[in-house]
Amino acid sequence: MKKLLIRIGIIAVLLVAMNWVYTKWFFEKDLLEHSDIIELPRQVVADSCQVVYLGESSNNTYGYAESDHRKISAMVSAYFPKVRVGDMTKSASHAQTYYTMLKQVPKDAPVETVIVTMNLRSFDAGWIYSRLETALRKQIVLLQDYPPLMNRFLLAFKAYPIRSEEEWDAIARKHWKKDPLDFPYDFEWNNTHQWDSAMAWGGWHGFDGQRDQQLTELACHYIKSYAFQIRDDNPRIKDFDAIVDLCRERGWHLVFNLMAENVDKANELVGKDLLFLMKQNRDYLMQRYDTQEDVTVVNNLDLVRDVNFIDQDWTTEHYYGEGRHIIAHQVAQALRQYYPNEYQDLGLLQYEAGHYCFEGSEDELNVERPYSQTLILPADSLQPDWGMVNIAVEMLQPDTLNDAQIVIEKNGEQGKTSTYYDLGPQIQSIGKWEFATFALPIDSTFREAGQIKFFVYNPSTSSVRVRRFDISFRPAYLKPAVKAQSSR
Amino acid sequence: MVFNSIEFVIFLPIVVLLFYLLPQKARWLMLLVASCVFYMWFVPKYILILLVTIIIDYSAGILMEKHADEPKKKKTFLVISVVSTLLVLFIFKYLGFINDNFVWLCQKLGLDVRTSVNIILPIGLSFHTFQSMSYVIEVYRGHQKAERHFGYYSLYVMFFPQLVTGPIERPGNLLRQLHEYKDFRYENISKGMRLILFGLFIKMVVADHLGAYVDEVYANPAEYNSWSVMLAMAFYSFQIYCDFFGYSTIALGSAKLMGFDISDNFRTPYLAKNIAEFWHRWHISLSTWFRDYVYFPLGGSRVKFGRWAFNILVVFVLSGIWHGAAWTFLFWGFAHGLLHILEKALRNRFPYKEPNSKWLGISLDALRIAKTFVLVTLFWVMFRATDFANMRDIFVAAVTNFGGGQSLAVKPEVWLYLALFILSDLLLFNTRFDAWCEGKPMVVRWLIYALLIFLVIACSSVNSFPFIYFQF
Repeated sequence: MKKLLIRIGIIAVLLVAMNWVYTKWFFEKDLLEHSDIIELPRQVVADSCQVVYLGESSNNTYGYAESDHRKISAMVSAYFPKVRVGDMTKSASHAQTYYTMLKQVPKDAPVETVIVTMNLRSFDAGWIYSRLETALRKQIVLLQDYPPLMNRFLLAFKAYPIRSEEEWDAIARKHWKKDPLDFPYDFEWNNTHQWDSAMAWGGWHGFDGQRDQQLTELACHYIKSYAFQIRDDNPRIKDFDAIVDLCRERGWHLVFNLMAENVDKANELVGKDLLFLMKQNRDYLMQRYDTQEDVTVVNNLDLVRDVNFIDQDWTTEHYYGEGRHIIAHQVAQALRQYYPNEYQDLGLLQYEAGHYCFEGSEDELNVERPYSQTLILPADSLQPDWGMVNIAVEMLQPDTLNDAQIVIEKNGEQGKTSTYYDLGPQIQSIGKWEFATFALPIDSTFREAGQIKFFVYNPSTSSVRVRRFDISFRPAYLKPAVKAQSSR
Repeated sequence: MVFNSIEFVIFLPIVVLLFYLLPQKARWLMLLVASCVFYMWFVPKYILILLVTIIIDYSAGILMEKHADEPKKKKTFLVISVVSTLLVLFIFKYLGFINDNFVWLCQKLGLDVRTSVNIILPIGLSFHTFQSMSYVIEVYRGHQKAERHFGYYSLYVMFFPQLVTGPIERPGNLLRQLHEYKDFRYENISKGMRLILFGLFIKMVVADHLGAYVDEVYANPAEYNSWSVMLAMAFYSFQIYCDFFGYSTIALGSAKLMGFDISDNFRTPYLAKNIAEFWHRWHISLSTWFRDYVYFPLGGSRVKFGRWAFNILVVFVLSGIWHGAAWTFLFWGFAHGLLHILEKALRNRFPYKEPNSKWLGISLDALRIAKTFVLVTLFWVMFRATDFANMRDIFVAAVTNFGGGQSLAVKPEVWLYLALFILSDLLLFNTRFDAWCEGKPMVVRWLIYALLIFLVIACSSVNSFPFIYFQF
């Protein structure tokens, strides 16, 4: 036994010496080869950035035909010309990756504020157990808090989950079957799997009543991406909590940038139950983090319209310039609290053709003043390829006694016809700004009318407030004709 | 659980510690549980297949012994046992292959048959079924007493160091040792650690680095020039050797830590001077299994040349199919058999005479070693290729693309690792790393350990290459 202990002692000494040799001559090469994300924090430090934006492909993806290739982080930077803003962007990354990257920023770096992308889908089993996880987790092994040789040992002995694509998929499927969906009202399906199967079996039927296989698959994908409920034991929550702790320890301001999801399409394809879960999860995150000192959550969830999403056949958060700009504007408003003097007003956002948005002021609607700002369009201004209109209203109600609704009024030679869309089923919370969205087909009655009006109408004595009214026209179904590109 | 994983790094010391802390009567149970955990780390439900073969062969052993005086009954139990074990192997390993060929044949005949079989091969199935069969055959032959203790028998089939890729043990060696009391000896720990360290080096530093280049070329042979394709072919020879030899050496070391001696599987095979010698040095536990249970019963070499050639072909074709359910494996086995016969025929016709000059002898030996290596390397192409088309592409690219295509950019350090391995293989001719270290001064020994530890930790490939023989 004594012999053995002496040997163990010799091995310990050898390991210390080896760690020195490895750190001095091998570690840097390994870092660059196996953990190239290290270059991101290094770049941020080299650029002496005060504000660091951490994101995935949502930050640097732009439409194929777009001339403006700016990242969201670059657009944020435009609001603060005197503040040095940098980014750490890595596709498919999530809170654990962000945490690892942030840990690499030296304590004496001039970073003051950290903006971390909070992607709702990243809390779903499909992303937590994504096929890309093996590669992502492998990337962070060398960056752990152990001596370099220990990290290399862990990398060599595969101390990260190595699973085949099929194995990752199987874990996600297991969660979709196992994790319950608890609605506060009667709902037919108990879990994501049941809901997804029901959609796949029943199919998605268009306005013509025909089953559309492509959209059925997309609807199923939306269910798998968003039909979940974030609970305290969600692995991402642990990671975001760690980011909060790290920022607190380093004295950094923290802004979580909750990304916009395509709520229009979610509503159009699946319906209000899916929106309910998306909003419930958003509320959970707001409640958990926005209430903490020196942590701000920017809520973009339903701010970006369908027409601004590049990938029309997937749930990715890839936005056209207008969408990126909306998010950058929101983030800039949150940053203003930390850099009030450096903020530069860039004016109201400019929207693309076919997209109309009333924002910046609030309308209080009640029986005495029941009409909101109105969009009036001559019917002949409708482009021939427009087949759908997405309408979104952001509204706050003090109670649920109002009769708020969206009205589409068509005035033509044959008189006036109005269609009403009740906001009640979608906006049920009280005292909180909430979005309601509608996707409607542009049928012949639109084109035959001389003039079309869109407005919010509340003839009730119970007031509501409206602060954003957004109307966007688009083709009947946006096929993925253009592909997203990444600027990296 | 694989040997080069963090799980095994934690698992093995715990098992060894428990082994020495527990009294002898509890050790088998602990080792059996550990073996189950080890196996179930892959796909838990497949342990049921193991259980089925264990129950059948355990019962067959006892029944054969009980009816030792009734040859017919005894033989019936043997046949039931062997057939049912082979049936398990057939269903999980060959049914899909046979179905695919059946469908292909039907389509050629214009019949519309679209059956499909999707069964995932349980890991190590070919190894433990053969180990189980060797027990039954040995009991039948009266060379081995039937094991009455179900736990010990299960452990014989499932002993974790050699469960998934051998060596294929015989009951006379392993089962006997499982009953013996193993005292804690520093010597066993030391030898075991040496073997594990050396095994990890050749698997993680040599085989896995080479594997990256091999995969690259085999995926797109037409993109590389002939020199690079030939280099990849040679690299594969070293990759498969280091991969399998590495696993076997770690298995030997892991067992040795607890005082168990399991069989050597390799003895510097690439220093063989002919194919017959190669098979005496490569995957020895499988070669001897086929020799004892197929080749000898067929008549072995004590028959006329034609019959002997037939015996050889049967053994090698079976060996090919044993490796995998694909025509390429069958072809590989057949080619080895054919070469074996050809070499023997040539030796009979032109008997080898030792040259008078020592240096001439050495030079001739070197040429013969090189010739055997080249032939084995060519045959490995059949083994490695995904199908015949891939095999053809490799061979075509190796001889027709001297002018064009890209060169395989091999990192200088990979050449160094390969050179280190070749040097070690030369030094370990007819010996083993643990024994070779014995005679060296302490400083030299520890310098070698330090180098190997550093190479394994700091220079190993980080790509995840499963052990090649796991698929069999």
